[in-house]
Amino acid sequence: MPSRLDPPAALLVASVLAVLGVSFLGCKASAGPPVLPSERVGAVTNLGGTLPGIHLVSPLPNGDWRLPGGDYANTRFSPLAQLKPDNVSNLRVLTAVSTGVPHGHEGQPLIVDNTMYIVTPYPNNLIAIDLTKPSGAVRFIYQPHPDPRAVGIACCDIVNRGASYADGKIIYNLLDAVTVAVDARTGVEVWRTKVGNIDIGETTTMAALVVKDKVMVGVSGGEMGVRGWLAALDVATGKEIWRGYSTGPDKDVLIGREFHAFYEKDRAPDQGTSTWPGEQWKLGGGTIWGWVSYDPELDLIYYGTGNPGVWDPDLRPGDNKWSCSIIARRPQDGHVVWAYQLVPHDHHDYDEIMENILVDMDWKGTPKRKLLLHPGRSGFMYVLDRGTGELLSAEKFVDSTNWASGYDLATGLPHEDPSKHTKLGQVVKDICPSSTGGKEFVPSAFSPLTGLLYIPAHNTCMNYEGLEANYIAGTPYLGADVKMYPGPGGFQGELVAWDPVRAKKVWGIREQKLPLYSGVLATAGNLVFYGTMDGYFRAVDARTGTLLYQFHTGSGIVGDPVTYLGPDGKQYVVIYSGVGGWMGAVASPDVSADDPYAALGVVGAMKDLKKVTGLGDTVYVFGL
Amino acid sequence: MKIIWALSFAVLLVGACRRGGEENAAEGQNTVGTGRGSGRSVINQPLGPVPGPGDIAPVANPLDGDRGARQEGRTLFVRYNCYGCHGGRAGGGMGPSLRDPSWLYGSTPDRIFNSIAQGRGHGMPSWGGRLDEKQIWELTAYVSSLRTPEEPEVP
Repeated sequence: MPSRLDPPAALLVASVLAVLGVSFLGCKASAGPPVLPSERVGAVTNLGGTLPGIHLVSPLPNGDWRLPGGDYANTRFSPLAQLKPDNVSNLRVLTAVSTGVPHGHEGQPLIVDNTMYIVTPYPNNLIAIDLTKPSGAVRFIYQPHPDPRAVGIACCDIVNRGASYADGKIIYNLLDAVTVAVDARTGVEVWRTKVGNIDIGETTTMAALVVKDKVMVGVSGGEMGVRGWLAALDVATGKEIWRGYSTGPDKDVLIGREFHAFYEKDRAPDQGTSTWPGEQWKLGGGTIWGWVSYDPELDLIYYGTGNPGVWDPDLRPGDNKWSCSIIARRPQDGHVVWAYQLVPHDHHDYDEIMENILVDMDWKGTPKRKLLLHPGRSGFMYVLDRGTGELLSAEKFVDSTNWASGYDLATGLPHEDPSKHTKLGQVVKDICPSSTGGKEFVPSAFSPLTGLLYIPAHNTCMNYEGLEANYIAGTPYLGADVKMYPGPGGFQGELVAWDPVRAKKVWGIREQKLPLYSGVLATAGNLVFYGTMDGYFRAVDARTGTLLYQFHTGSGIVGDPVTYLGPDGKQYVVIYSGVGGWMGAVASPDVSADDPYAALGVVGAMKDLKKVTGLGDTVYVFGL
Repeated sequence: MKIIWALSFAVLLVGACRRGGEENAAEGQNTVGTGRGSGRSVINQPLGPVPGPGDIAPVANPLDGDRGARQEGRTLFVRYNCYGCHGGRAGGGMGPSLRDPSWLYGSTPDRIFNSIAQGRGHGMPSWGGRLDEKQIWELTAYVSSLRTPEEPEVP
């Protein structure tokens, strides 16, 4: 059968097949007609056109899209190259599917064996679309019926950030702190595991990641006094295998003999309790509501933790470990191998749950160094050695960032501006970035063909007053009065193409009025796809940032584009269109634009959103 | 039949007055307030013309016009984490805005009182067991003042 991939993707087919266990190779034949040869579900590691000195650590999705970030390394890069700069202007909408839930459509669908799997916002239905039939034919809708009380404790809309496919199952989290596995072929529930308790504010919104025979699940609720954790469930049964907390004694964090932090500051025992006053660590946040990465070569998982609880820093003197940290664990038993706290004693709600992109690159004389790229909420682009946790570089990717001037690479500590430290009972003005960050959870993409990271960035600042806070289970535990506003320079969002080695921006595309709140996709066709909060879906040239195509969808875009090969062998691109999430809150009729302090302070920066978009619930499929 | 209704209603009202008086808070004649963490603060409201007690006059906020009460209500709004859901100046977020003209459970003081005291769907806790009747009226006074010249802390 002739290859339907364009060069350079066709080149890969020969070099396909990195061995990565069941999740990639264990795919079963589709129930429908066998339309494409095995290469479309095979995995690619060495891609023609890859820049010298770059090595991808995880196989790439070649036709399907089976993990939240496409691959384990969260590159969100596709080797598909049928769509390219000279034909992408001919893209058109081929079908649009309503999910029936007009709330923030974060995350991305999966594509497995000619079926598209869409997880809706609460009530978290799983919609399976048969791609072998025209016009979005539904194969099944699985309705998990989560506890409606979860709606009232979800901080930032009732969102879900996607599923993973493994072992014939679609595995994802429900808003009410429950993880489910659904038979991908029949839509029948295989198992259901309660992982948390909504009565103490625990919800689950992150994209579950399957690593070998386990699924990694983290908790949300950093605004509710939740104590963060990551749990590993057995893929076959849903049984919990281990759970590592973000705060508390080392035995709870799973810090043991294998632990070796790179920096002295992170080495003392039991810092999950000693860096907190009293028992505040029990309400200490450090939640995990973003993305987990996996390095199959080092056999380590990586993720970032959220803000410490409570927001008001004067109520929790100390470094507040392990909030705002990057943690490397063994997937087998959860033991921490290294941890690095990016921001000790956070003053600004800089959750660092952002994606960690794993890539080997030549680094200042060291060939193919094992890097971890972390575009931070703090406005800094962090580059770490992912074997050791050493900070190799931390430069501002958002110019207005002013809470710190830079990082001391020898100590791993930021050079903070004390005048930007927030305080109880005092309004501290003009802190940049705002709590929503130099970027939010929306994931970047990395292209090995350009060596660039494509970051959906924000330029938003804030005024912040610390307040006394009372912990009342199931209510917000904040202690902060926050008002955000657009940062300096006349723009509030920017797609930043960033060179991680030279630590500088190569090009950027600015959004005047709104932050960029969509994920990014890069492809071997040298294209970058993303969406805007006012509803545009765009394709730009990955090398230059030249706008090549755009289409105005029905609602603001806060989801992540993915690409796949259809049963006809053609390349398609999918995006959710449905504004919402934290920064999209004001699009809801339930939020007033005349209170800049509303929705934890984002409305001040987003008050015009209502004028340019409204709620939506549509999945758009584009093709030639 | 009517007599039975009237009688049972009168009993209800008497009980209400006595308990309300004990708490020295609301003076609405059909208030059943027990306050102070007992969890039973509630105001009787018409259920409809038939068969409910449709002729109850709405209860005014006994603290209506009291500037200090509005200010205290604002303080409680922060202390009890209301602002975390309803927004820094009640413009909404996790919970609905209290600044807009849309009132899911009614905008009159007695209805606002009951929404606070009894709790509502989608995450609004029942505060009747934690706040006393006076505090609930203070919160009601604050909520009623939003977007009026009487609002204590204008955004």
